[in-house]
Amino acid sequence: MSSILSVQNLNKSFGNKHVLHDVSFDLKKGHIVGLVGPNGAGKSTLMKTMLGLFNYDSGSIQIAGETVTPQKHDALSKVGALIEYPGIYPFLTGWDHLQLFADGDHQLIHIQKIIQQLNMDSYIKRKAKGYSLGMKQKLGIALALVNFPELVILDEPMNGLDPQATKDLRDLIITESQRGTTFLISSHILSELQRLAQDLLIIDEGSIVQQTTMHELLASQGKQTIMLMTSDDNKTRQLLKKAKFTTTPDPRVEVVAKSDDTMPQVLRLLVENGIDILDVTRLEGNLESSLLEVLKQSRIKKKLAEEQAE
Amino acid sequence: MWTLVRQESFKLTRKLSTWISTGCLVGVEILFAFLSRVYPQTFVPASMFESLYFARPIINFYMIAATATIITMEFQYGTMKQVLYRRYSRGQILVSKWLAILLYTLYWYVMSTGIALLLKAMLFHHSLSIHQSAGDGMSVFTRGLSISAASFVSLWLLLSVVFLLANLFRNSAAAVSVGIIGYFASYIVTQLLTILIQKWDWAKWNPVTMTLYPSMMSRPGYYQSLLSMQAWQMLLGNLIYIAIFLGIGYYVFNRRNV
Ligand SMILES: Nc1ncnc2c1ncn2[C@@H]1O[C@H](COP(=O)(O)OP(=O)(O)OP(=O)(O)O)[C@@H](O)[C@H]1O
Ligand SMILES: [Mg+2]
Repeated sequence: MSSILSVQNLNKSFGNKHVLHDVSFDLKKGHIVGLVGPNGAGKSTLMKTMLGLFNYDSGSIQIAGETVTPQKHDALSKVGALIEYPGIYPFLTGWDHLQLFADGDHQLIHIQKIIQQLNMDSYIKRKAKGYSLGMKQKLGIALALVNFPELVILDEPMNGLDPQATKDLRDLIITESQRGTTFLISSHILSELQRLAQDLLIIDEGSIVQQTTMHELLASQGKQTIMLMTSDDNKTRQLLKKAKFTTTPDPRVEVVAKSDDTMPQVLRLLVENGIDILDVTRLEGNLESSLLEVLKQSRIKKKLAEEQAE
Repeated sequence: MWTLVRQESFKLTRKLSTWISTGCLVGVEILFAFLSRVYPQTFVPASMFESLYFARPIINFYMIAATATIITMEFQYGTMKQVLYRRYSRGQILVSKWLAILLYTLYWYVMSTGIALLLKAMLFHHSLSIHQSAGDGMSVFTRGLSISAASFVSLWLLLSVVFLLANLFRNSAAAVSVGIIGYFASYIVTQLLTILIQKWDWAKWNPVTMTLYPSMMSRPGYYQSLLSMQAWQMLLGNLIYIAIFLGIGYYVFNRRNV
């Protein structure tokens, strides 16, 4: 079976600025894939190129086996997207927007369903001129999803959403993915991505650094951290240092757990020294630290390769 | 394709400016009809009717603005991405905008002609007949129609340039100013044009000459010798230039990064 989206050796430049370098990856049907990387890594550019908004220098983009170019992209009928910020006509209502972009069969049913799923009833008949940031964002997401497409591409979808809306969106993404929809989501809100994405594409300086699953990435970094809140953080830090525990540079007191004994040892040490422990949290390998580690390693590798080339 | 044209028209109907300008146009026609009724010496009823009670310049200005914004608003509101990343090709998107503007131009001409007929019936029932002769074997009514047809064509010459500029600059101010300058250019440089045309006959084929087409229709016999051109040559020239400018705009739109 061909994958829903396949990108092979994609290169893209703006003038003489080379922004995407030999990008290749495949998306598995029904998966939620996170696209992560630093600012300016090329996430939005990659997404726009896949959507036929940019010409590209070389390589290929196929959606459900059909090639996508700026000139010809029938395959985009299977795709819904929100890139960067939603485009909104101030003189139209939310409902007008949905009607404008609804396509294919069962348009009315789809429109009503998406409004209900994203909880937009209260303002959908109002002119978009008066929408708040989050309302616009929700409308943008609704526009991406209104045709219930096979592939959904979302760039920073949680921008400006309140906790309830974030949860509504998460639930919606999970239900739709269980029904076979594939999602490619870029986000800097890693905690949210960690709860959603099964697969990860890590991109830096226009190259794919790693394509992996969330589980593998977290396990490979296998780092566990114990976070402490105590009656005297300064003294705690000194004691830990003297006892040769590894701490993190975080402003809170964090100890890196090298083995299963680390936690009892730390607690005993503190109690014996008369420090009250207010709270202990075990931070399981988290996406943020894992990601930063991967990016650091890849940059070091890249630098070494460059030095060797010289 | 038809879906796209309907979508573009839907956006136009939802804009307040569409209805305000329709109201303004009706207002201007009524105003000039009354002036013509009260001061028939200055505002000769027959020629006021032929000029659709001053509706055509208003239509021109309004259509120049509408054409510029149908493109640039998509950039301004950030909606161009959404419009483009659907199954429709870029060519289809642009052509649907052309067709929407074509329909819109027709709307304006039909509406202003209808209002003119209505005003004539109400204010000049006895004093003016649209069947009375306007010279050259034409009646007041058919002369009015032929001027409308000519100004429709040369308006589209301007609009094809405005489409191109709106695509190039993504900025309606630039496109609108050039459109309006283009509209006045012909009046300003008529003298210069005639001198040039006397000297080199081929100079008559420049696009600015073509915008004199409606003037030629409203002053029969005058421009033909001045520009040494016939009406059919004007029509042909207009159509060729429209095709060229739209063609370049199409090419630009298909190639650009959004
Ligand atoms: N239209 C453009 N013209 C020239 N350069 C561009 C253009 N768009 C993006 N770039 C450049 O391409 C690179 C990647 O930008 P892109 O917007 O894809 O980053 P990103 O990964 O989405 O970043 P962020 O996390 O900040 O959204 C940047 O160096 C940017 O300066
Ligand atoms: Mg971005």
